[in-house]
Amino acid sequence: MVRFENVGMRYGMGPEVLRDINLHLAPGSFHFLTGPTGAGKSSLLKLLALSHRPSRGLLTLFGQEVNSLKREDLPAFRRKIGVVFQEFRLLNHLSTLDNVALPLRIAGADEEQIYKHVTELLDWVGLGPQVDAKPPTLSGGEKQRVAIARAVINRPQLLIADEPTGSMDPEMGLRLMHLFQELNKLGTTVVIATHDLGLIKRFSNPVLYLKDSTLYSSRSDEYLDQYHRSSL
Amino acid sequence: MIQFFGRSNELQLEKDASSRYLPIVISSMVFLAALALAGLFSIHSAVENWSTAVSGNLTVEIEYEAPRKLDKKVKITVDFLRTFPGVEKVRPLSLEESAKLLEPYLGRADVVKDLPLPRLIEVTIAEGSALDLVATAKKLSDTVPGARLNTHRPWLNKMITLARSVQLLAAAIMFIIGITTVIIVIFAARTGMVMHQEIIEVLHLTGAKDTYIARQFQNYFAKLSFLGALPGLLIAVLVMQILGFLTSQLEASLITAPTMIFEGWIALAMLPFLVALLTMGTVRWIVMGSLKRMM
Repeated sequence: MVRFENVGMRYGMGPEVLRDINLHLAPGSFHFLTGPTGAGKSSLLKLLALSHRPSRGLLTLFGQEVNSLKREDLPAFRRKIGVVFQEFRLLNHLSTLDNVALPLRIAGADEEQIYKHVTELLDWVGLGPQVDAKPPTLSGGEKQRVAIARAVINRPQLLIADEPTGSMDPEMGLRLMHLFQELNKLGTTVVIATHDLGLIKRFSNPVLYLKDSTLYSSRSDEYLDQYHRSSL
Repeated sequence: MIQFFGRSNELQLEKDASSRYLPIVISSMVFLAALALAGLFSIHSAVENWSTAVSGNLTVEIEYEAPRKLDKKVKITVDFLRTFPGVEKVRPLSLEESAKLLEPYLGRADVVKDLPLPRLIEVTIAEGSALDLVATAKKLSDTVPGARLNTHRPWLNKMITLARSVQLLAAAIMFIIGITTVIIVIFAARTGMVMHQEIIEVLHLTGAKDTYIARQFQNYFAKLSFLGALPGLLIAVLVMQILGFLTSQLEASLITAPTMIFEGWIALAMLPFLVALLTMGTVRWIVMGSLKRMM
């Protein structure tokens, strides 16, 4: 599904923000991505979301080496990836329904089907009564749920979420984590960037952690032990 | 989803300050372009008219002599010219008619006719005639001393040169207007790209193709250009009508005033569509180029 081999990344002529990343995400896996602020989590997510290309090394997504992808092939690859941005990036002039419908409309889905699927999903995330509301009128948690609904509406093969439950009350956070788990059970590979140790502890999925621009992986209990030892 | 002249649903370019004044600029450009285009076509038709009017008409001028001798020369000349195949009509102008022609320059005709005026003969050549004017002129001056065939050609040539220069100038103005319009549209489109970079990135990451994004820009800017072009064209047509009216008030007997031909009106009517197409092409080129620089 996803393979990084000695991947490095830099912005322009700047220093490397990611160094020698080696990673393999099997199809249907569920990982947490964590690390201190500035460690390179966002950059790693950008590589996964096909927003940037690696500066060096090999990044393989869905069996294709990213640097060898032609520009016209990128949209089809991106439609297999769902992204939940940390700052939501909702389109403020569109309704909740239109925001969530965006990936389906871009893919050219039938309007009737779009309406059916989007309203169903919005009901599920608790935004049924707000289908016509515009993002500026929604609370932080509601915006985040709209962003998550947009990312999962077209059943992506890879779901990337940057702090997806950060602005929510714990109950809604858990509800959405269960949604991610359900998608994962259906075969979606999930990577969730988070600082929330409670979430890592509760769901016990493997942890990828970035330190000094390099990626390490461990089981969640190992990571939590190590975290507590180092903070003592 | 995105209609041809519809709104740009995701990018909402309608709310951009960068393109708000584009219709006004386009309107001014179309106003100038319409005037230049009208100039091109009306001068072209005027040249055709002058050429047709003048090339079918010749004037024979017989130097002044004693009236009796002059009348005799006129009769010989008329008889001589009528023997030429291709000459349709030969009409000697009376002294009163000649004096009337000079009235605007020399004063009252009844006084002018007492001056030693040359006699004029109007000659009309049949359409499609292959009359050799140089040979005819030589034969005429050999047969009737003092008679000179005036073909109007040197005068017409100067007029045509002047008209062609004006046409060239109008074409150059059209070209400059086109280039300026393209540059203005490029700046507006680039500004729009910068202002909407974040939404463009979301659209890209959601799987939108470059053409999907470019279509929103190109349709919106084409709409602005088209709507801007209409008032520009309307004002230009009004100005042309006023100029046409003023020209028709001039008593210019030598030449007819330039008038718009049918093809010219067609070209003017197409101007808003051409401007919209030019804008659409330019915006697509700029947006696609900029998107290619993103991943």
